Amino acid sequence: MSAFPPAREQQRKMEEGRAYSQDGVLSHLEMLEAQAHELALKQEETEQQEEKLARLKARVQELRLRRDELQAKVDLQQKRLLGKEGVVTSSAPDAAQPSDRAVLEWKMKSVQAMLQVFYLTGISGKLTKHGVCFCISTAYEGTYLDSYYLDLLTKPEVRIRRHSVPVFIPLEQLAKKYLQTDIKRFLSVLSDHLNAYVGRRYQADQLQERFSERLEGALQRNSLCNVLVFNYNTSGKNQTFPFSAKLLYGDLCRSLPTEAVVSCTPDAPASLAGRTAAHSDVFRHVALHKAFDSISSPEEGLDRAP
Amino acid sequence: MENSIYQVYEDEIQSLEEEIKMLAEKYEDSQQESTFFSDEEILMSMKSFQTEFQGELKGQESPSDLKAQLESLEADLSFLMKFTGIWFTSHSKKTVEKTGSRTIQKHRLSGNCHSLPFQLEFQLLEIKSKESVSAVITDLNVIMESGEYSGVSKFVSSTEEHGNLLPFFKSLSSYAEWYEHRRCTFLHFKTRYPDIVKLPEGLLGDYIVLRNPEPSGFELMIVWKIHVDEDGRTTPVLDLLTKVPEQVLEQNITTIENAPTCFRSMLLLFGIETAIENLIKVVGLKK
Repeated sequence: MSAFPPAREQQRKMEEGRAYSQDGVLSHLEMLEAQAHELALKQEETEQQEEKLARLKARVQELRLRRDELQAKVDLQQKRLLGKEGVVTSSAPDAAQPSDRAVLEWKMKSVQAMLQVFYLTGISGKLTKHGVCFCISTAYEGTYLDSYYLDLLTKPEVRIRRHSVPVFIPLEQLAKKYLQTDIKRFLSVLSDHLNAYVGRRYQADQLQERFSERLEGALQRNSLCNVLVFNYNTSGKNQTFPFSAKLLYGDLCRSLPTEAVVSCTPDAPASLAGRTAAHSDVFRHVALHKAFDSISSPEEGLDRAP
Repeated sequence: MENSIYQVYEDEIQSLEEEIKMLAEKYEDSQQESTFFSDEEILMSMKSFQTEFQGELKGQESPSDLKAQLESLEADLSFLMKFTGIWFTSHSKKTVEKTGSRTIQKHRLSGNCHSLPFQLEFQLLEIKSKESVSAVITDLNVIMESGEYSGVSKFVSSTEEHGNLLPFFKSLSSYAEWYEHRRCTFLHFKTRYPDIVKLPEGLLGDYIVLRNPEPSGFELMIVWKIHVDEDGRTTPVLDLLTKVPEQVLEQNITTIENAPTCFRSMLLLFGIETAIENLIKVVGLKK
């Protein structure tokens, strides 16, 4: 063993030295590598950004071009229509012969449009595999409101498969009475109920929305909107609400109350108390939000009087 | 900073896309609205379409799909017309204004409700929101031959005033059903009692005359009007008018005077058909 000490020593020293210089070089290299990586990343990022920007620019160009083409097409179309004043038939000499597909697609769109118009009549629908799905639309005057669906099975007997009619509408009762014998009558009566309900709700909403300053808080109503209770005054400037009204809608197929009980607080001036009968009469004959228009104006003078 | 550069472009892209969509819709709408094909043309296209495209064009909907779709839509439409009794014979619309979610269209619609012809013009304002579409009817104009259907004129003007399109269809249907019912009833009695029942204005008139076949026989006139009130409720109103020769009148003065009142209570008790039937029998028996 003793014959090799110098060699062993040398080896040990060499190893130490190697480790030393190796450390320095490696860390240097690592540093360089990191820098290069960072640079590459940055470069990549800018490249990506530029690419994205270029892509966006190209897209904008493309869209602008398409917009201009389309605009030109629309302008041309308008000009042609104005020149011809009215319907262009396919027999017009300069019209290009439309393809059969175009003709059929035109027909499809016009049938679709006519089907949509049925929505305005109050009853629309479509045939299903096992029956018909009806849609009952509702409106208050010219404003169309909610639509309700009724999916009917027609075989072996007429049955309601699914529906979106609110629970407080006496659907089951009506179905029992008419569904098997007269579907048309059934839908017509159901539509009366739905239209009347939606009409009452619409009037109450309008009143709340337009005349909230004349109402004491929110008006109270039940879900069917056939009982409404509210306290009110006739001029929004007042902080007191001397009148209170209770409207009862006895006929569920109508949106005007059958009974309107109006009372006045005992401390109110006699001039106000004398008007309760007139108010009650207006409520029974005029839509709620319109009734407020007509009962408020003459009263204002009275309120201001000393 | 960098993000804001993108933002400028992205915003422009979005607004361009919206603009393109609107223009495309406008083009499509006008194209649809300004074209018209007759039923023959459509039938021809339907026939040639299927042969022409056989084995061609995989990307587009196949001809049979398009045809099936069209047929199913037409089946829906004809079912609805039959069911409701409202037959649309022509419909055209024109987009007046289209901005974002707001669309105003002018519609012209004509058709028959059972046997009654009608024509409508109105504007439809539609506002699309995320959940639903709200629709409002304005400028409603109802054209009906009001001379012939005298009962409806008041109702028609209140319909126009309030834009009451939905109740209009309901009441028109019920009016038309009564109208049809009256025609059938008159026809029934005319066929059954041809010697007694006279129809001076034909089956579509609003009265019949019951005349005893004998020369001095007396005459009863039943006037059957169909009344539609401002709220659109339809009610039949029947009245009895008497035209009696003097010698008959002398004998039965009270009976004749009471006849209209009796007729009214008979209507309430037995209904229209039985009440008329009874009158006919009385007229036939006399003398």
